[in-house]
Amino acid sequence: MAKIIITIALFISSFLSAQGQYEQGMGKAFGLWKEGKNAEASDLFERIASAEKLNWLPNYYVALVNTTTAFGTKDKEKINLLLTKAQNALDVEMAKYQNNAELYVMQAMINTAWIVYDPMTNGMKLSPKNMELYAKAEAIAPENPRVVFSKAEFQINGAKWTGIDTKPLCAQIEKAIGLFATFKPESAFSPKWGLDRATEALKNCK
Amino acid sequence: MKSIFTLIILLFTTTIFSQNSLSGTIVDEKGNPVTGANVFIEGTYDGTSSTENGEFNFTTTTSGKQILVVSFLIFETLKTVIDVTDFKNKTIKLRENVTSLDAVVVTAGTLEAGDKSRVSVLKPLDIVTTAGSAGNIIAALQTLPGTQSVGEDGRLFVRGGEANETQTFVDGIRVAQPYGASTQNLPTRGRFSPFLFSGISFSTGGYSAEYGEALSSVLILNTQDEPDQNKTDIALMTVGLGIGNTQKWNKSSLSVNANYINLAPYQAVIPQNVDWNSPFQSLSGESVYRYNFNTGILKFYAAFDSSKFDINQENFNSLAKTRVNLNNTNFYMNTSYKGNFGNNWQLTSGLSYGNSQNKIGIDLNDVKNTENAAHLKLKLKKSFSERLKLSFGADYFATQFDENYNEYLGTTNTSGYNSNIAAVYTEMDIFFSKKLAVKAGFRASNNDLLKENTLSPRISLAYKIVKNSQFSLAYGDFTQTPNVDYIKYSKFHQFESEKASHYILNFQYNKEGKTFRAEAYYKDYSNLVKYDTQIAQYNSVYNNNGLGYAKGLDLFWRDGKSIKNLEYWISYSYIDTKRDYKNFPTQATPNFVANNNLSVVTKYWISDWKSQIGFTNSYSSGRPYNNPNEVTFMNGKTKSYSNLSFNWAYLLTTQKILYFSVSNILGTQNVFGYDYAKNPDETGYYNRKEITPTADRFFFVGFFWTISQNKKDNQLKNL
Repeated sequence: MAKIIITIALFISSFLSAQGQYEQGMGKAFGLWKEGKNAEASDLFERIASAEKLNWLPNYYVALVNTTTAFGTKDKEKINLLLTKAQNALDVEMAKYQNNAELYVMQAMINTAWIVYDPMTNGMKLSPKNMELYAKAEAIAPENPRVVFSKAEFQINGAKWTGIDTKPLCAQIEKAIGLFATFKPESAFSPKWGLDRATEALKNCK
Repeated sequence: MKSIFTLIILLFTTTIFSQNSLSGTIVDEKGNPVTGANVFIEGTYDGTSSTENGEFNFTTTTSGKQILVVSFLIFETLKTVIDVTDFKNKTIKLRENVTSLDAVVVTAGTLEAGDKSRVSVLKPLDIVTTAGSAGNIIAALQTLPGTQSVGEDGRLFVRGGEANETQTFVDGIRVAQPYGASTQNLPTRGRFSPFLFSGISFSTGGYSAEYGEALSSVLILNTQDEPDQNKTDIALMTVGLGIGNTQKWNKSSLSVNANYINLAPYQAVIPQNVDWNSPFQSLSGESVYRYNFNTGILKFYAAFDSSKFDINQENFNSLAKTRVNLNNTNFYMNTSYKGNFGNNWQLTSGLSYGNSQNKIGIDLNDVKNTENAAHLKLKLKKSFSERLKLSFGADYFATQFDENYNEYLGTTNTSGYNSNIAAVYTEMDIFFSKKLAVKAGFRASNNDLLKENTLSPRISLAYKIVKNSQFSLAYGDFTQTPNVDYIKYSKFHQFESEKASHYILNFQYNKEGKTFRAEAYYKDYSNLVKYDTQIAQYNSVYNNNGLGYAKGLDLFWRDGKSIKNLEYWISYSYIDTKRDYKNFPTQATPNFVANNNLSVVTKYWISDWKSQIGFTNSYSSGRPYNNPNEVTFMNGKTKSYSNLSFNWAYLLTTQKILYFSVSNILGTQNVFGYDYAKNPDETGYYNRKEITPTADRFFFVGFFWTISQNKKDNQLKNL
């Protein structure tokens, strides 16, 4: 009897500790990221990804952390390294999930970073590609606020060159802000960023 | 009771999940500590980031043999099998990532235009936004160092080599007839419309063993892997019409375009230096189909081109002008597959077929010729690591050429040849470090027509001296079957391959938006074809005793950074070359060579006007010509050549562009050379005629319209 109880208890405890490990790890990584320790946060997400092969979130965050870091970096060489790292992490998940709108938005974000890196060379090539990615994401999740917001934001940033009317795009941002209010993330660690950026972008609209 | 259980459980968990601690230091190749490297056991949460001293220290609940992963941005990710129970105070050395941006690149000889390349001298857009290029890939390349601008011919002449010494490849497969048909002193242009290609690699010497049958240069054009979107392009031009459409599906895409060019209305308005009976007309079309597999891409490219013109050319050898009436049809297709398989293997294979037919009426005489050319290719590449790559492959070139020359009311002369060339090659890419890379290989080929085997070694290496600056060296032997003008008489003479050796020293400096490139070279020609008559004919006495050299310096500077909205580049080439070939009595500089060539290309974007304005200035010093009235061979020299071109692209809306260009704004009276009479007049004097451009200036006005869902796209890149 005692043996059985011990076995069950052991099973449960090891299960709980694995479960706890993910939660603890993700929590710690987000903590590092918040503290501005981006490299360490990326490292930890990378380690979690190595253990949680069936979960797309850790690699998604490796991509997100490195891409957002790249946006704030001036050294071209470093940007290239960060974006390559982001791309490699995202590729792993893209190969597994073709129906995940968040991954398409992430890919478009990496492309946007490349456009900022060298607009002359990459603008022509990647802008239409981004529109295609947003179209795919929209088809999968039309009510995802990040899809709606990112697409509108990308077009607004391009308006300087294309001269298209930004009014309907601003309306899209407003719509996105509404969607943020009702959006329910699938899990505690699922992407939920964007509201503050959308609010900021809306200010520039007026 | 409860507490006992808890105690037992605790005890068990700690025994079962007994921890092993790991520690050590991460260093780079020089032994300096690496901060911030991610060290962990694969498949677990166990790991850490290395500290400022490169040290790491963590515990794992795993046991026995595990895979330790160490990753850090600028280094190659390291994966090693370790025993976690015994891994303490170990030193782990990381190797620099040779694929990183600042790693050395073997660049000797090669000028890249494309987005993938790290050492691009041209951007894809440049081909079409360069003033004076008018959408002609070849004309844009003529603003690069190492080329000669030979205005009356239009083809690429590289470093003292004849135009046929450059071989063109599309997706790695040879294009036997890359230029439109033309006649003496009328310039031709490249057959390819620039917007189907995403990358261009133009090598002016010392190229890879993958490419053969080219003495001077290779031009490698790669079609786009993936078009950006569904769209329709419409072009209305003063010289004709064009239409294009791209359709994109889930895994495949198709692009087609068709162009009709008719110079008649244009030539009616603008005075011409030549006497046209029927101006140049052409109908051409291209299509590319692409299919993406999970691990590879299949492409099918086809081009069709039919052109004709009828012209009266002045001729000193008779009183009347010579009438030349030319009809050309050309078909080219190319299928290629590129894919990855197995453990880091890459396969590239393909085949091409080209058919060209010319019907040329010269007064009452007729020339008809047909060329069929095929190329089969197979290449395998294995990456053992980022640092060591081996490639090998085989080529098979088959060419059949037939020509009938019908003299009016006279005999018919036939000539022609059948040639089969089989070649194999292998090449190794080795990165010794981020600073030193070597590419070495050789090419062996068998030519059944010439009954010969050749072996050509190729080697190049690059060394990075400091950040942004590197040196490259290259050496190679190159062979090529003689020109069709000789080889078509193979029935009467056994020819041998012509040969060249290249020695190249290159320096390159690259920093954000700025590129400086200097290249010195020496080229040694041997085995060139010689003959003993005024023009090459079937009964000439031929030999392969010709020889020659070319040496020079090419400089290139590009800057898109210093002045806002201005992008410019400057190319300068100095060449000293002499050859004893053809029917030359002594070694002399051929008439297509100018010792000094300078091109300045500028592009300026004016936002307020929504316009891009560009100027291109080309200058060449005088070219030699032979004056039969003088004793010394090739003693004459023309005056220098200069041409200032201008273009203006105006965006009406984002999808509609108005484009205007004009060449030779200053109206310089350029002379390319002189045609001398074959026989002297009564006083014993040889008369001559200037060879000049077909018109003093060329004007072009076009309207380009893109129809697509994404309103951003336009044809700016097609201009």
